Amino acid sequence: MKASPKKVIVIPCSGIGKAFGSISRDVTFEVTENLRKETTQTLCLALLVSGDQESLQLVRDNKCITVDGCPLQCAEKNVKYAGGKLAGSFRVVDVYRENRHLKLRSVTFLDADGQKMALAVAERIGKRVDELLRDE
Amino acid sequence: MMAESQEKKVGIVSCSGEGCVEGTISRVATRLVLEKLRPNETVTICLPLFLAGGKEEREFARDYPTITVDGCNKMCAKVATERYSAKPASSIIITALTRDWGCPKLGSRRKLNDEALAVAGKVAGRIAEEVDEVLKRWV
Amino acid sequence: MSEHFRTTFDKFELRVRKGCYYTRDDLWVSVENGKVRIGVSDYLQKTSGDVAFVEVAKPGSKVEQGKEFGTIESAKTTVALFSPVSGKIDEANGKLDRKPELVNSDPFGEGWLVVITPLNLDDDLRLLVNSEDYYKLMLQKLQSEHGKLESR
Repeated sequence: MKASPKKVIVIPCSGIGKAFGSISRDVTFEVTENLRKETTQTLCLALLVSGDQESLQLVRDNKCITVDGCPLQCAEKNVKYAGGKLAGSFRVVDVYRENRHLKLRSVTFLDADGQKMALAVAERIGKRVDELLRDE
Repeated sequence: MMAESQEKKVGIVSCSGEGCVEGTISRVATRLVLEKLRPNETVTICLPLFLAGGKEEREFARDYPTITVDGCNKMCAKVATERYSAKPASSIIITALTRDWGCPKLGSRRKLNDEALAVAGKVAGRIAEEVDEVLKRWV
Repeated sequence: MSEHFRTTFDKFELRVRKGCYYTRDDLWVSVENGKVRIGVSDYLQKTSGDVAFVEVAKPGSKVEQGKEFGTIESAKTTVALFSPVSGKIDEANGKLDRKPELVNSDPFGEGWLVVITPLNLDDDLRLLVNSEDYYKLMLQKLQSEHGKLESR
Protein backbone atom coordinates (compact mmCIF):
# COMPACT_ATOMS: atom_id res chain seq x y z
CA MET A 1 0.00 0.00 0.00
CA LYS A 2 1.93 3.05 -1.23
CA ALA A 3 1.28 6.48 0.23
CA SER A 4 -0.22 8.86 -2.31
CA PRO A 5 -0.08 12.48 -1.15
CA LYS A 6 -3.10 13.61 -3.11
CA LYS A 7 -5.45 11.00 -1.76
CA VAL A 8 -7.85 11.24 1.10
CA ILE A 9 -8.19 8.06 3.14
CA VAL A 10 -11.79 7.11 3.88
CA ILE A 11 -12.18 4.70 6.78
CA PRO A 12 -15.47 3.13 7.84
CA CYS A 13 -16.30 1.54 11.15
CA SER A 14 -18.04 -1.42 9.44
CA GLY A 15 -19.73 -2.34 12.69
CA ILE A 16 -21.18 -5.76 12.18
CA GLY A 17 -24.13 -5.56 14.56
CA LYS A 18 -26.13 -2.72 13.02
CA ALA A 19 -27.48 -1.56 9.70
CA PHE A 20 -25.58 1.69 10.23
CA GLY A 21 -22.31 -0.25 10.26
CA SER A 22 -23.12 -1.99 6.99
CA ILE A 23 -24.06 1.36 5.50
CA SER A 24 -20.74 2.91 6.60
CA ARG A 25 -18.99 0.22 4.63
CA ASP A 26 -21.05 0.75 1.52
CA VAL A 27 -20.57 4.51 1.78
CA THR A 28 -16.82 3.96 1.69
CA PHE A 29 -16.99 1.76 -1.39
CA GLU A 30 -19.27 4.25 -3.13
CA VAL A 31 -16.77 7.04 -2.52
CA THR A 32 -13.55 5.14 -3.23
CA GLU A 33 -14.77 3.02 -6.15
CA ASN A 34 -17.18 5.41 -7.77
CA LEU A 35 -17.69 9.03 -6.74
CA ARG A 36 -14.06 9.97 -6.02
CA LYS A 37 -12.12 6.94 -7.12
CA GLU A 38 -9.09 8.92 -8.34
CA THR A 39 -8.68 10.90 -5.15
CA THR A 40 -9.57 8.53 -2.33
CA GLN A 41 -8.71 5.13 -1.00
CA THR A 42 -9.67 3.07 2.00
CA LEU A 43 -7.98 0.74 4.42
CA CYS A 44 -9.01 -1.74 7.08
CA LEU A 45 -9.52 -0.04 10.42
CA ALA A 46 -8.27 -3.08 12.29
CA LEU A 47 -4.85 -2.83 10.60
CA LEU A 48 -4.23 0.43 12.45
CA VAL A 49 -4.74 -1.24 15.78
CA SER A 50 -2.79 -4.37 14.91
CA GLY A 51 0.17 -2.09 14.18
CA ASP A 52 0.48 -2.58 10.43
CA GLN A 53 3.23 -0.08 9.58
CA GLU A 54 2.09 0.70 6.04
CA SER A 55 -1.41 1.49 7.22
CA LEU A 56 -0.18 3.62 10.10
CA GLN A 57 2.08 5.60 7.76
CA LEU A 58 -0.77 6.09 5.32
CA VAL A 59 -3.11 7.68 7.88
CA ARG A 60 -0.30 9.81 9.31
CA ASP A 61 0.81 11.10 5.90
CA ASN A 62 -2.62 11.73 4.37
CA LYS A 63 -5.84 13.42 5.41
CA CYS A 64 -8.43 10.98 6.70
CA ILE A 65 -12.20 10.96 6.80
CA THR A 66 -13.95 8.51 9.09
CA VAL A 67 -17.40 7.10 8.45
CA ASP A 68 -19.03 5.88 11.63
CA GLY A 69 -22.39 4.19 11.82
CA CYS A 70 -23.47 5.32 15.24
CA PRO A 71 -22.59 7.79 18.01
CA LEU A 72 -19.99 5.45 19.51
CA GLN A 73 -17.67 6.64 16.70
CA CYS A 74 -15.25 3.75 16.79
CA ALA A 75 -13.57 4.64 13.48
CA GLU A 76 -12.86 8.19 14.60
CA LYS A 77 -11.49 6.98 17.95
CA ASN A 78 -9.24 4.37 16.39
CA VAL A 79 -7.86 6.74 13.76
CA LYS A 80 -7.11 9.28 16.48
CA TYR A 81 -5.37 6.66 18.63
CA ALA A 82 -3.26 5.75 15.60
CA GLY A 83 -2.16 9.37 15.17
CA GLY A 84 -4.00 9.78 11.88
CA LYS A 85 -4.64 13.20 10.33
CA LEU A 86 -8.37 13.35 10.96
CA ALA A 87 -9.85 15.88 8.54
CA GLY A 88 -13.50 14.88 8.57
CA SER A 89 -15.82 12.74 10.61
CA PHE A 90 -19.24 11.54 9.45
CA ARG A 91 -21.90 9.55 11.29
CA VAL A 92 -24.50 7.69 9.29
CA VAL A 93 -27.03 8.23 12.07
CA ASP A 94 -26.83 12.00 11.57
CA VAL A 95 -27.71 11.75 7.90
CA TYR A 96 -30.45 9.26 8.80
CA ARG A 97 -32.02 11.96 10.96
CA GLU A 98 -32.45 14.05 7.82
CA ASN A 99 -33.92 11.09 5.94
CA ARG A 100 -36.39 9.77 8.42
CA HIS A 101 -38.55 8.21 5.74
CA LEU A 102 -35.90 5.57 5.04
CA LYS A 103 -36.39 2.29 6.85
CA LEU A 104 -33.07 0.69 7.69
CA ARG A 105 -33.86 -2.82 8.76
CA SER A 106 -31.45 -5.05 6.92
CA VAL A 107 -27.97 -5.57 8.38
CA THR A 108 -26.32 -8.33 6.36
CA PHE A 109 -27.26 -7.16 2.87
CA LEU A 110 -28.34 -3.59 2.27
CA ASP A 111 -31.85 -3.18 0.94
CA ALA A 112 -33.01 -0.32 -1.31
CA ASP A 113 -33.40 2.16 1.56
CA GLY A 114 -30.02 1.20 2.93
CA GLN A 115 -28.43 1.86 -0.45
CA LYS A 116 -30.15 5.25 -0.69
CA MET A 117 -28.87 6.10 2.77
CA ALA A 118 -25.34 5.09 1.73
CA LEU A 119 -25.50 7.26 -1.37
CA ALA A 120 -26.70 10.28 0.63
CA VAL A 121 -23.74 9.99 3.00
CA ALA A 122 -21.28 9.26 0.19
CA GLU A 123 -22.26 12.42 -1.69
CA ARG A 124 -21.52 14.54 1.36
CA ILE A 125 -18.17 12.89 1.81
CA GLY A 126 -17.37 13.46 -1.85
CA LYS A 127 -17.83 17.20 -1.37
CA ARG A 128 -15.66 17.15 1.72
CA VAL A 129 -12.93 15.32 -0.18
CA ASP A 130 -13.00 18.06 -2.83
CA GLU A 131 -12.66 20.74 -0.16
CA LEU A 132 -9.75 18.98 1.47
CA LEU A 133 -7.86 18.57 -1.77
CA ARG A 134 -8.49 22.20 -2.76
CA ASP A 135 -6.79 23.21 0.47
CA GLU A 136 -3.70 21.10 -0.24
CA MET B 1 -12.86 -19.29 31.84
CA MET B 2 -15.63 -21.68 30.88
CA ALA B 3 -17.45 -21.97 34.17
CA GLU B 4 -20.16 -24.58 34.31
CA SER B 5 -22.64 -22.09 35.68
CA GLN B 6 -22.25 -19.73 32.70
CA GLU B 7 -24.80 -19.85 29.93
CA LYS B 8 -23.06 -21.47 26.99
CA LYS B 9 -22.37 -18.93 24.29
CA VAL B 10 -19.58 -18.50 21.80
CA GLY B 11 -18.37 -15.09 20.67
CA ILE B 12 -17.63 -14.65 16.98
CA VAL B 13 -15.10 -11.94 16.17
CA SER B 14 -15.06 -11.19 12.48
CA CYS B 15 -12.94 -8.87 10.46
CA SER B 16 -14.88 -6.77 8.02
CA GLY B 17 -11.83 -5.89 6.01
CA GLU B 18 -12.54 -3.46 3.28
CA GLY B 19 -9.32 -4.37 1.55
CA CYS B 20 -10.44 -7.60 -0.06
CA VAL B 21 -13.48 -9.65 -1.00
CA GLU B 22 -12.55 -12.18 1.68
CA GLY B 23 -13.23 -9.47 4.30
CA THR B 24 -16.77 -9.15 2.98
CA ILE B 25 -17.16 -12.91 2.96
CA SER B 26 -16.00 -13.01 6.58
CA ARG B 27 -18.64 -10.48 7.52
CA VAL B 28 -21.48 -12.15 5.63
CA ALA B 29 -20.60 -15.63 6.87
CA THR B 30 -20.55 -14.43 10.47
CA ARG B 31 -23.93 -12.77 10.06
CA LEU B 32 -25.37 -15.98 8.60
CA VAL B 33 -24.20 -17.92 11.64
CA LEU B 34 -25.61 -15.33 14.00
CA GLU B 35 -28.98 -14.99 12.25
CA LYS B 36 -29.67 -18.45 10.90
CA LEU B 37 -27.29 -21.27 11.73
CA ARG B 38 -26.56 -20.81 15.45
CA PRO B 39 -28.65 -17.85 16.66
CA ASN B 40 -29.02 -19.07 20.23
CA GLU B 41 -25.44 -20.16 20.73
CA THR B 42 -23.51 -17.21 19.34
CA VAL B 43 -22.86 -13.57 20.05
CA THR B 44 -21.09 -11.27 17.64
CA ILE B 45 -18.30 -9.09 18.90
CA CYS B 46 -18.19 -5.78 17.07
CA LEU B 47 -14.50 -5.53 16.14
CA PRO B 48 -14.26 -1.72 15.78
CA LEU B 49 -15.94 -1.29 19.18
CA PHE B 50 -13.67 -3.97 20.62
CA LEU B 51 -10.63 -2.14 19.26
CA ALA B 52 -11.87 1.22 20.57
CA GLY B 53 -12.07 -0.19 24.09
CA GLY B 54 -15.66 -1.45 24.24
CA LYS B 55 -15.98 -2.87 27.74
CA GLU B 56 -18.79 -5.32 27.05
CA GLU B 57 -17.05 -6.69 23.97
CA ARG B 58 -13.70 -7.17 25.70
CA GLU B 59 -15.17 -8.71 28.83
CA PHE B 60 -17.26 -11.14 26.87
CA ALA B 61 -14.25 -12.19 24.80
CA ARG B 62 -12.28 -12.65 28.01
CA ASP B 63 -14.92 -14.71 29.82
CA TYR B 64 -16.37 -16.79 26.98
CA PRO B 65 -14.80 -18.84 24.21
CA THR B 66 -14.37 -17.02 20.92
CA ILE B 67 -13.91 -17.93 17.29
CA THR B 68 -12.10 -15.39 15.13
CA VAL B 69 -12.90 -15.13 11.43
CA ASP B 70 -10.33 -13.25 9.35
CA GLY B 71 -10.38 -12.45 5.67
CA CYS B 72 -6.64 -12.65 5.16
CA ASN B 73 -3.46 -13.75 6.88
CA LYS B 74 -2.98 -10.39 8.59
CA MET B 75 -5.47 -11.89 11.05
CA CYS B 76 -6.59 -8.62 12.62
CA ALA B 77 -9.48 -10.21 14.53
CA LYS B 78 -7.25 -12.91 16.01
CA VAL B 79 -4.47 -10.48 16.91
CA ALA B 80 -6.90 -8.08 18.59
CA THR B 81 -8.71 -10.80 20.52
CA GLU B 82 -5.47 -12.20 21.89
CA ARG B 83 -4.14 -8.77 22.73
CA TYR B 84 -7.17 -7.37 24.50
CA SER B 85 -9.01 -10.37 25.86
CA ALA B 86 -7.84 -13.94 25.53
CA LYS B 87 -6.61 -16.49 23.02
CA PRO B 88 -9.53 -17.54 20.82
CA ALA B 89 -10.76 -21.12 21.01
CA SER B 90 -10.58 -21.37 17.24
CA SER B 91 -9.47 -19.23 14.29
CA ILE B 92 -10.57 -19.26 10.68
CA ILE B 93 -8.79 -17.54 7.79
CA ILE B 94 -10.90 -17.18 4.66
CA THR B 95 -7.99 -17.02 2.18
CA ALA B 96 -6.71 -20.32 3.55
CA LEU B 97 -10.11 -21.94 3.10
CA THR B 98 -10.62 -20.62 -0.42
CA ARG B 99 -7.18 -21.88 -1.38
CA ASP B 100 -7.96 -25.33 0.00
CA TRP B 101 -11.33 -25.41 -1.72
CA GLY B 102 -9.87 -24.23 -5.04
CA CYS B 103 -12.26 -21.32 -5.30
CA PRO B 104 -12.32 -19.22 -8.48
CA LYS B 105 -11.56 -15.49 -8.38
CA LEU B 106 -14.29 -14.09 -6.20
CA GLY B 107 -15.00 -10.69 -7.70
CA SER B 108 -16.19 -7.49 -6.06
CA ARG B 109 -15.61 -6.83 -2.38
CA ARG B 110 -18.61 -4.52 -2.34
CA LYS B 111 -21.33 -6.80 -3.65
CA LEU B 112 -20.66 -10.53 -3.52
CA ASN B 113 -21.27 -12.39 -6.76
CA ASP B 114 -22.90 -15.83 -6.79
CA GLU B 115 -19.63 -17.68 -6.34
CA ALA B 116 -18.62 -15.50 -3.42
CA LEU B 117 -22.05 -15.89 -1.82
CA ALA B 118 -21.74 -19.64 -2.11
CA VAL B 119 -18.34 -19.44 -0.44
CA ALA B 120 -19.82 -17.30 2.33
CA GLY B 121 -22.44 -19.98 2.91
CA LYS B 122 -19.78 -22.66 3.06
CA VAL B 123 -17.68 -20.61 5.47
CA ALA B 124 -20.76 -20.08 7.63
CA GLY B 125 -21.18 -23.84 7.78
CA ARG B 126 -17.56 -24.21 8.85
CA ILE B 127 -18.00 -21.59 11.57
CA ALA B 128 -21.13 -23.37 12.81
CA GLU B 129 -19.17 -26.64 13.05
CA GLU B 130 -16.48 -24.86 15.05
CA VAL B 131 -19.16 -23.44 17.36
CA ASP B 132 -20.45 -26.96 17.99
CA GLU B 133 -16.92 -28.22 18.67
CA VAL B 134 -16.20 -25.42 21.12
CA LEU B 135 -19.46 -26.04 22.94
CA LYS B 136 -18.73 -29.78 23.12
CA ARG B 137 -15.42 -29.02 24.81
CA TRP B 138 -17.27 -26.86 27.34
CA VAL B 139 -17.95 -29.61 29.84
CA MET C 1 -23.77 -0.96 48.05
CA SER C 2 -24.39 -0.74 44.30
CA GLU C 3 -26.84 1.82 42.98
CA HIS C 4 -28.12 -0.72 40.47
CA PHE C 5 -29.29 -4.26 40.07
CA ARG C 6 -27.24 -5.70 37.23
CA THR C 7 -27.43 -8.66 34.93
CA THR C 8 -25.63 -9.76 31.80
CA PHE C 9 -27.46 -11.00 28.72
CA ASP C 10 -25.17 -12.18 25.92
CA LYS C 11 -22.45 -9.53 26.09
CA PHE C 12 -24.71 -6.74 27.36
CA GLU C 13 -24.83 -5.51 30.90
CA LEU C 14 -28.30 -4.34 31.84
CA ARG C 15 -28.90 -2.18 34.90
CA VAL C 16 -31.96 -1.32 36.95
CA ARG C 17 -31.47 1.73 39.13
CA LYS C 18 -32.53 1.20 42.71
CA GLY C 19 -34.84 3.64 44.44
CA CYS C 20 -37.00 4.29 41.38
CA TYR C 21 -40.42 3.04 40.43
CA TYR C 22 -40.97 1.44 37.04
CA THR C 23 -43.80 0.85 34.62
CA ARG C 24 -44.33 -2.57 33.10
CA ASP C 25 -43.47 -1.07 29.73
CA ASP C 26 -40.04 -0.09 30.87
CA LEU C 27 -40.03 3.53 31.97
CA TRP C 28 -38.37 4.59 35.22
CA VAL C 29 -39.97 7.09 37.58
CA SER C 30 -38.00 9.06 40.13
CA VAL C 31 -39.91 11.03 42.76
CA GLU C 32 -38.16 14.37 43.37
CA ASN C 33 -39.70 16.85 45.85
CA GLY C 34 -43.25 15.97 44.90
CA LYS C 35 -42.59 15.90 41.17
CA VAL C 36 -41.63 12.92 39.05
CA ARG C 37 -38.80 12.63 36.55
CA ILE C 38 -39.27 9.99 33.87
CA GLY C 39 -36.92 8.19 31.53
CA VAL C 40 -36.52 4.94 29.63
CA SER C 41 -34.97 1.93 31.31
CA ASP C 42 -31.66 0.43 30.27
CA TYR C 43 -33.59 -2.56 28.93
CA LEU C 44 -35.79 -0.40 26.72
CA GLN C 45 -32.96 1.69 25.31
CA LYS C 46 -30.96 -1.43 24.53
CA THR C 47 -33.82 -3.19 22.75
CA SER C 48 -34.84 -0.09 20.81
CA GLY C 49 -31.47 0.47 19.16
CA ASP C 50 -29.82 3.82 18.47
CA VAL C 51 -32.43 6.43 19.32
CA ALA C 52 -32.59 9.02 16.54
CA PHE C 53 -35.74 10.95 17.53
CA VAL C 54 -37.40 11.71 20.83
CA GLU C 55 -40.83 13.33 20.79
CA VAL C 56 -42.74 14.11 23.94
CA ALA C 57 -45.69 16.32 24.77
CA LYS C 58 -44.74 19.95 25.39
CA PRO C 59 -44.39 21.56 28.83
CA GLY C 60 -47.79 22.63 30.04
CA SER C 61 -49.51 19.60 28.49
CA LYS C 62 -51.76 17.44 30.61
CA VAL C 63 -50.98 13.75 30.71
CA GLU C 64 -52.98 10.82 31.94
CA GLN C 65 -51.67 7.64 33.50
CA GLY C 66 -51.51 4.90 30.90
CA LYS C 67 -51.96 7.25 27.94
CA GLU C 68 -49.35 8.04 25.34
CA PHE C 69 -47.23 11.13 25.94
CA GLY C 70 -44.48 10.60 23.41
CA THR C 71 -42.33 8.28 21.33
CA ILE C 72 -38.74 7.30 20.84
CA GLU C 73 -37.71 6.28 17.35
CA SER C 74 -34.70 4.44 16.04
CA ALA C 75 -33.90 3.14 12.57
CA LYS C 76 -35.53 -0.15 13.45
CA THR C 77 -38.55 0.73 15.57
CA THR C 78 -40.81 3.38 17.07
CA VAL C 79 -41.76 2.92 20.70
CA ALA C 80 -44.78 4.63 22.20
CA LEU C 81 -44.28 6.00 25.70
CA PHE C 82 -47.19 5.75 28.15
CA SER C 83 -47.32 8.11 31.08
CA PRO C 84 -46.79 6.46 34.48
CA VAL C 85 -48.71 9.24 36.24
CA SER C 86 -51.49 11.74 35.59
CA GLY C 87 -50.56 15.40 35.82
CA LYS C 88 -48.92 18.23 33.88
CA ILE C 89 -45.57 18.23 32.11
CA ASP C 90 -43.28 20.82 33.69
CA GLU C 91 -40.14 20.21 31.70
CA ALA C 92 -39.03 18.28 28.67
CA ASN C 93 -35.35 17.46 28.20
CA GLY C 94 -34.30 19.89 25.47
CA LYS C 95 -30.88 18.23 25.05
CA LEU C 96 -32.53 15.28 23.35
CA ASP C 97 -33.38 17.34 20.25
CA ARG C 98 -29.72 17.60 19.28
CA LYS C 99 -28.41 14.57 21.16
CA PRO C 100 -31.04 11.82 21.23
CA GLU C 101 -28.19 9.35 21.80
CA LEU C 102 -28.19 10.40 25.45
CA VAL C 103 -31.17 8.07 25.88
CA ASN C 104 -28.84 5.21 24.98
CA SER C 105 -25.62 6.36 26.60
CA ASP C 106 -27.08 7.63 29.90
CA PRO C 107 -30.69 6.46 30.27
CA PHE C 108 -30.83 7.08 34.04
CA GLY C 109 -28.95 10.37 33.94
CA GLU C 110 -28.72 12.88 31.11
CA GLY C 111 -31.15 10.89 28.97
CA TRP C 112 -34.21 11.70 31.11
CA LEU C 113 -37.36 12.59 29.16
CA VAL C 114 -39.77 14.77 31.15
CA VAL C 115 -40.58 16.08 34.61
CA ILE C 116 -44.26 15.97 35.60
CA THR C 117 -46.19 17.57 38.44
CA PRO C 118 -48.52 14.71 39.38
CA LEU C 119 -52.18 15.02 40.36
CA ASN C 120 -52.56 11.86 42.45
CA LEU C 121 -49.07 10.59 43.08
CA ASP C 122 -49.85 8.09 45.85
CA ASP C 123 -52.66 6.50 43.84
CA ASP C 124 -50.58 6.37 40.66
CA LEU C 125 -47.53 4.86 42.37
CA ARG C 126 -49.65 1.93 43.52
CA LEU C 127 -49.87 0.82 39.88
CA LEU C 128 -46.12 0.92 39.37
CA VAL C 129 -43.51 -1.60 40.50
CA ASN C 130 -40.49 -1.09 42.70
CA SER C 131 -36.97 -1.56 41.36
CA GLU C 132 -36.56 -5.07 42.73
CA ASP C 133 -39.79 -6.29 41.13
CA TYR C 134 -38.96 -4.54 37.89
CA TYR C 135 -35.57 -6.28 37.87
CA LYS C 136 -37.34 -9.65 38.09
CA LEU C 137 -39.74 -8.59 35.37
CA MET C 138 -36.83 -7.58 33.16
CA LEU C 139 -35.17 -10.96 33.67
CA GLN C 140 -38.39 -12.69 32.60
CA LYS C 141 -38.60 -10.53 29.49
CA LEU C 142 -35.00 -11.35 28.60
CA GLN C 143 -35.68 -15.05 28.88
CA SER C 144 -38.90 -15.09 26.93
CA GLU C 145 -38.68 -12.32 24.36
CA HIS C 146 -35.18 -11.93 23.15
CA GLY C 147 -33.11 -13.64 20.60
CA LYS C 148 -30.59 -10.98 19.94
CA LEU C 149 -30.17 -7.56 21.38
CA GLU C 150 -28.67 -5.14 18.94
CA SER C 151 -25.01 -4.65 19.30
CA ARG C 152 -24.00 -1.47 21.18
